[in-house]
Amino acid sequence: MTVLEEPLKEVLSLKNYIDGQWIGSVGETQDVINPATGKVIAKVPMSTVDEVNTAVAAANNAFLEWRMTPPLARARYFFRLRELLEENFETLSRIQTMEHGKTIDESRGETRRGIEMVEVATGIPSLMMGYNLEDIASGIDECVVYQPLGVFCNIAPFNFPFMVPLWFSPFAVATGNTFIVKPSPRDPISQVKLCELVDEAGFPPGVYNVVHGGAETAGSLLEHSDVKGVTFVGTSNVGRAIYQKCGETGKRAIVQGAAKNFMVVMPDADVNNTIASLMTSFYGNAGQRCLSGANLVIVGQDDKFYNEILERFLDATARIRVGYGLDESIQMGPMQSLDGKDRVTRYIEKGIEEGASLVIDGRTPEVIGNYPDTCFIGPSVFVDVTPDMTIAREEIFGPVASVIRVRNLDEAIRLVNSSKYGNGNAIFTSSGKAAREFQYRVNSGNIGVNIGIVAPMAFFPFGGMKDSFFGVLHGQGRDAIRFFTESKVVIQRWF
Amino acid sequence: MALQTTSEVVSFARKLEEDGANYYVCLARLNPRYEYNFQLYAKENRNNIKQVQRVYYEVISDAIEGCFAFNMDVTRFLFEGLPDESSDLGNWVKRAIDIEIKTAEFYSEAAKECKSLMAGIPRIFSTIARKRDNRITELKALLSSNTE
Repeated sequence: MTVLEEPLKEVLSLKNYIDGQWIGSVGETQDVINPATGKVIAKVPMSTVDEVNTAVAAANNAFLEWRMTPPLARARYFFRLRELLEENFETLSRIQTMEHGKTIDESRGETRRGIEMVEVATGIPSLMMGYNLEDIASGIDECVVYQPLGVFCNIAPFNFPFMVPLWFSPFAVATGNTFIVKPSPRDPISQVKLCELVDEAGFPPGVYNVVHGGAETAGSLLEHSDVKGVTFVGTSNVGRAIYQKCGETGKRAIVQGAAKNFMVVMPDADVNNTIASLMTSFYGNAGQRCLSGANLVIVGQDDKFYNEILERFLDATARIRVGYGLDESIQMGPMQSLDGKDRVTRYIEKGIEEGASLVIDGRTPEVIGNYPDTCFIGPSVFVDVTPDMTIAREEIFGPVASVIRVRNLDEAIRLVNSSKYGNGNAIFTSSGKAAREFQYRVNSGNIGVNIGIVAPMAFFPFGGMKDSFFGVLHGQGRDAIRFFTESKVVIQRWF
Repeated sequence: MALQTTSEVVSFARKLEEDGANYYVCLARLNPRYEYNFQLYAKENRNNIKQVQRVYYEVISDAIEGCFAFNMDVTRFLFEGLPDESSDLGNWVKRAIDIEIKTAEFYSEAAKECKSLMAGIPRIFSTIARKRDNRITELKALLSSNTE
């Protein structure tokens, strides 16, 4: 067992990054705790309304000059940032493990995903092009150009502290807007480290800003009249309120909410590969992701197949090594917070109360290494789950699998579509026909075929339907380019 | 010693390559006649580490089963320290062949285990295993030329 060296040696006092400068906040501070070791690793300020206003003013002032910077010149800043991210790849990854708790493999995956967003943004001269047509009428030409709008912000969640703001900020800034990130106060350090690299890459002051804080800070950003658009990833309840607020204040919004994802296993699935995919789907990131598997739906009336899949799933689940993510042998880290662990525990109790059978109980996990068990919880599996049970309907956001048996694919699809969420659902099968049927009929923003985590790449939009998404255009890819720009039509005739 | 995560497997590959490189550096020092070839092997070992690390870092976001793609007992691929410096070249080369066979087996098995799951990682493992085959042939030729 090799425990990698921690890159953070002292308790950091985090500052805001406004107008190209690191500025201390007068707001109260909150501890940032490594959920595996229980140690305080940073103090994060809760920024005041005045500090938010200062950041918005700086971003607004920077906008005019930045939007006039040629797209190719803007892209070059991102080429420099990309190189700096590569140079700091390992440090950034280890920081994520320290502040969030995820395993080092998962953190490296997150770092890579973040870098991929930056890489796509370097293609902005091509991505941002408009189109035109000569002679729409005799001697008259028409064209459409895409123009940036001003200040955008991201209110970030705790589950992917490095990557999620990058779903938006490179696209916003590359298209000529300016940006403010409000990291989650639970794990804001990797955003600070990212911003240090933004600073080193030489972005002009005010183009990229970081303001720390909680709900009040987010509220100030939402209220501000100079903020043209908001991006948010979090719970559906908060997301719905943010979307309403953006409607009232005339802001654009990308709001990604909660999920309850179904992993549908057909009788013709490749069992070995399916089990590996299910492990990462249900237990990766300790189940704290909106693309995690939550309900394992085993299809068919063949008892032998049902028992085989269930047995293999339980066996693999029982062998998962839980511990500190910087230990390379660990497969699942702790929950990011004690609150998260308590929430999962409550859902497990609810499942028992409603009559499901808890066949693997993660509430008292064996933790590898000498760490306090404060935030650790092991994987749990319920069988005999019915679709009406709370654990089958609500997002648990933790490593809990609910096994549901259905007779056929049709029943499975109806079950998936009965959920109020529609985020990342998957089918495991060797049948193209079954896969096509699933892809065609399931109401979900992201569909997996033999993929347990349906995470779209940077050049595709991150989908979401029903209560999992509020908005029209999505983050990443061409959708993001359209979201962060306004189309302007020019019709011209010369006498 | 069972490895399950990609991070562990990559670290183990690094250890094998570094130990192998050190072995060839020593061989080169003790056998100036073949210094160039042995130094080349050491350099290639270090390059293999870079290649594996590069591919791993590049594809880990797609290889989402990173924590669950392996279940490898790697004890049999480990090799002990260096032979006695007074041993003749034949002994050193025999040992090198053994190291290369074990290392090639490790990469082949690792590639097989994570095939279909780990994007470009099985490909780089297979490529390095194949390079090992060439090296084994060269070492065997060297061994026979020294025993004739």
